[in-house]
Amino acid sequence: MDLTFTPSETAFRDELRGWLADNDPGPEPHGDEHAHFAWRLDWQRRLAAAGWSGVHWPVEHGGRGATLTESAIFFEELANRRAPLPGNVLGLLLAGPTIMTWGDEAQRERHLGPILTGEEVWCQGFSEPDAGSDLAAVKTRAARDGDGWTITGQKVWTSYAHHARWCMLLARTDPASERHRGLTYFLLDMEQDGVEVVPLRQITGESHFNELFLDGARATDAQVLGGEGNGWRVAMTTLSNERSGLAFFHQVRMRQLVDALAAELAERGGLDDPRTADALADVAAQVEVLRLTAYRGLTRLERTGEPGPESALTKLMWSRANQALTQLAVDALGPDALTAGSRWSYELLRARGNTLEGGTTEILKNIAAQRVLGLPRAS
Amino acid sequence: MNFDLSEDQREIKRTARDLLADRCPPERVRAVAEGGGPDGALAAELAELGWPGIAIPAEHDGLGLGAVEAAALLEELGYALAGAPLLATAAAAFAIEGAGSDAQRAEWLPRLAAGSATATLGIAHGDVAALVADAEGADAIVLVQDGRARLLTAAEAEVSPLETIDPTRRYARVGAPPGAGEPLPGDPAAAVDRAAALAAAELVGVCQRALDDTVAYVGERRQFGRPIGSFQAVAHRCSDMLLAAESARSAAYFAAWSADADPDGLPFAAALAHSVAATSAREATASAIQAHGGVGFTWEADVHWLYKRAQVASRLFGSVGAARERIAGAVAARG
Repeated sequence: MDLTFTPSETAFRDELRGWLADNDPGPEPHGDEHAHFAWRLDWQRRLAAAGWSGVHWPVEHGGRGATLTESAIFFEELANRRAPLPGNVLGLLLAGPTIMTWGDEAQRERHLGPILTGEEVWCQGFSEPDAGSDLAAVKTRAARDGDGWTITGQKVWTSYAHHARWCMLLARTDPASERHRGLTYFLLDMEQDGVEVVPLRQITGESHFNELFLDGARATDAQVLGGEGNGWRVAMTTLSNERSGLAFFHQVRMRQLVDALAAELAERGGLDDPRTADALADVAAQVEVLRLTAYRGLTRLERTGEPGPESALTKLMWSRANQALTQLAVDALGPDALTAGSRWSYELLRARGNTLEGGTTEILKNIAAQRVLGLPRAS
Repeated sequence: MNFDLSEDQREIKRTARDLLADRCPPERVRAVAEGGGPDGALAAELAELGWPGIAIPAEHDGLGLGAVEAAALLEELGYALAGAPLLATAAAAFAIEGAGSDAQRAEWLPRLAAGSATATLGIAHGDVAALVADAEGADAIVLVQDGRARLLTAAEAEVSPLETIDPTRRYARVGAPPGAGEPLPGDPAAAVDRAAALAAAELVGVCQRALDDTVAYVGERRQFGRPIGSFQAVAHRCSDMLLAAESARSAAYFAAWSADADPDGLPFAAALAHSVAATSAREATASAIQAHGGVGFTWEADVHWLYKRAQVASRLFGSVGAARERIAGAVAARG
């Protein structure tokens, strides 16, 4: 057990810090969602130009070949610098690694480069109105049509679809199939007739995710990833891809929020109220436990190659901690924090999504119960 | 960065798990609890193995290992609800080693390491420590009050056995007349933090046992024609227990590592471990009772011992509220 960083990890952090010190992401644009995304995409271009995009990708695919710990450090430092996540985060964390695992030479050649630079943005077309947590209920239909496929159906909660050139699309190619069988994974070109993106408005008022209507959209055989009928396995690769990097980004962001709240409270004498101080200690402890548990998960993954129970838990931890933190801020700061558009009211509302996005709390608890604890499934 | 036990540390933990499963099964815990006595045979065997001296320096005849190794051991002692006074002795040894004079170290540490003497540590207010583990029969008692510590022999301390809700271990109220005993010249704060780290590790074991016993029970117990663990209301409770156990483990091992390697970070880490492990252990053991249904509320089931240990052990080295105050203070200071 050694919770300090090795000389090479420290050297990695120092080099990154040096680069970040010289490269300011610039002021975060507020209010204009398109300007905000452009800012994040520009940030990715600059990261890529300096070799800091896809740090965890193998060198042969244009990445930096960083270790898991270095990748964690990358996300920590990004958050420390108050820089945003790269615009094409789904491409970097999900699409790229899935294409590395399942793609043929031509697919890797075609897609990996533009993912790294952010030149081509990706979205993820898995969920449907009737296939949310129950992903195997996917109904979107891809029908054989000459030398390609014609795709009809609807996807939902498709983040970044309104910016995306490509979509990781899960569709049913065998109409007689049920559940996990008969699904195929497509690399769908979003720039065509038959693809319509309709923004959904979130409770914050923003539109970050969408409905995706597919009406005769076309895909070629060369755009099938991992083979016809193999979609479920390919999709599992996408879902299980190492996303622990995000836990490190979130824990730093949450620590910044805790510190910001503590500073605001101190200014108003709010910490003199022992109930407020106690609640602040509770959320600060939750954030610290998230950081520690994320590191335990990282060590486990490096040692055994398999994620341990920790990785099933960090998402539950950060979503719960963020909701507790933002509720505390609103409680303790009062009406000022409830004004529409204020920082804390935004954080409060946004946090409600944390226990839904990327696997609902209910589904994650099922997974923990069945896969970590070995409890029987409901029949 | 390596946040896991080493192979040697895992081996210590495995050995302890196996030995205690054999020597300290639930029947034995029950016998200790209902007989009201400490497990002398177990204590003697563990002393033979050198466990009381695991974190005592080799120059004082201990095993010379660190707080992390001690935490691994304490986790297993908590898992087994063992009735041996290792936490108490380790806490006192930390104080004597960290705040004692050379003479005090030479007098006490080798005997504590060998198990030929036992000791304990209590937090006192107004010359009285209201809750001290394994004080009865202890050869030395360290009382910490207002940032100073003094060491009392059995003859000097006023030990009144205390019947707590947790009969798996003996507790007492310890009074010390003003001026009784001899002062430890140094600052005992770090020793109390190290003791809190080990108490947290013990609570990690309690959490893990509550979880394991509950998972076994809800996998077996059938209602409506299926195991109750297949119902989400029950399964999600178990997932919450897992979350509690792993949260406590992260915090407790962080504190133990800080005790060995990061003295500046220890006060915060110890407060974090105390707060998180206490909260987690109370939740997890309460959940164990709930998931066992009516059976869990009976004296005959064993889960109540876990709940009772969690409640009392959480209070040994101060209140959770005080630990939270320290955390809040640290957060305010870093802003």
